[in-house]
Amino acid sequence: MKGVMETNGPGTTVGVNVSLSGTLKDQNDISVFGMVEGEVISEKSVTIGQTAQVKGPVKGELVTIAGVVRGSITAGEKLELLETGKVFGSINTKNLVIHSGAILVGKTEMPTGEDSEVEPEVDGEGEPTEDASEPADETLTPDEE
Amino acid sequence: MYYYILEPPTSRAVRQTYQKLRDLLTNLGIAGEMVAASPARTPEELTMMGLERGYGTVVAVGGDAFVNNIAQAIIGQAVLGVIPIGEADQISEIIGTNNMRTAAEFLKFRRLSTFNTTIGEPETLIFLDAVITPPKLAKVNLVIDGKLRGYAYFNKLTITRNAEIKIESSHLVEQKKILGLFTSGGTTVKSESLLHGKSIRLVTDPELALMIGRQPIAKTPLQLRFHPNSLKVITKRGSIL
Repeated sequence: MKGVMETNGPGTTVGVNVSLSGTLKDQNDISVFGMVEGEVISEKSVTIGQTAQVKGPVKGELVTIAGVVRGSITAGEKLELLETGKVFGSINTKNLVIHSGAILVGKTEMPTGEDSEVEPEVDGEGEPTEDASEPADETLTPDEE
Repeated sequence: MYYYILEPPTSRAVRQTYQKLRDLLTNLGIAGEMVAASPARTPEELTMMGLERGYGTVVAVGGDAFVNNIAQAIIGQAVLGVIPIGEADQISEIIGTNNMRTAAEFLKFRRLSTFNTTIGEPETLIFLDAVITPPKLAKVNLVIDGKLRGYAYFNKLTITRNAEIKIESSHLVEQKKILGLFTSGGTTVKSESLLHGKSIRLVTDPELALMIGRQPIAKTPLQLRFHPNSLKVITKRGSIL
């Protein structure tokens, strides 16, 4: 069952011995070391610890992944995938750091802010030029599961 | 004028402290009606008597659990003053002193702070941290704000006045068996969680007591509701907390 928890408290920490189902939403930092099935949304930072398993989308300004995420990740400012991190889902961020050993299976989208400003050059006489602004779809490591 | 309610004295030393307090309050010019709780006259009954007589400030003289009792009886009806005596670490931190004289001076200056509280339905007030400590690792089922559900294993569960649930656990994993009889080694896994909401339901099996200090104030299952800015307390500095 999906639900919403939205508070103004000091942040949320989901420990190793905790399992939650629903939308975990906090205006402050969220740290997950246990299991969450549902959305994890913060207006600040989200940390997915090494022991954590998240099944659902993750959204935050600063997102750090050391555990397992099965779902899309949106980081407004920066996403860091640590060496123990495993992501099975798409990523959308302006600033991406992937450490050696991390696993990422999914699409990566990095908005540059230039997409709407740069129009593709069209040369009526020659061959059409290659559009360099197209977002890269890449699979960095094979799905091991 | 203030209405003072004294916790039943646990020793001769405390009785002597109460006598000193009377003198101190008189010297500060804030002496008022002073009543002592006893098995025959509970803190709640004494508080109701004070409120019926029109007192706008009730001063609890005692430890954490006693202060929480008085707070429960006056919330929404009067201002809480405190003279911490005995096991009063939490309330001392809140008002800004554990010294009787300094606390009495705070009463004279009457600077008010407003605090959040959490109500354990139907009528348990959580102003000071309340704790559940089961004899062994226990499971609690949680429902937060009616929809977010889950469970946790814990050795200690603390509920704060801000409707925060602190869940702590520590247990051994990967123990080795010797001759199939004895266990040794293993790794201790510690876990700390902090969850919060406006409405929280906690269920354990079996029922467990919720304590402030050594006094049980409620037992599971608990339905908690957050009450922002609901209790006015005389402290060192007036503020909205």
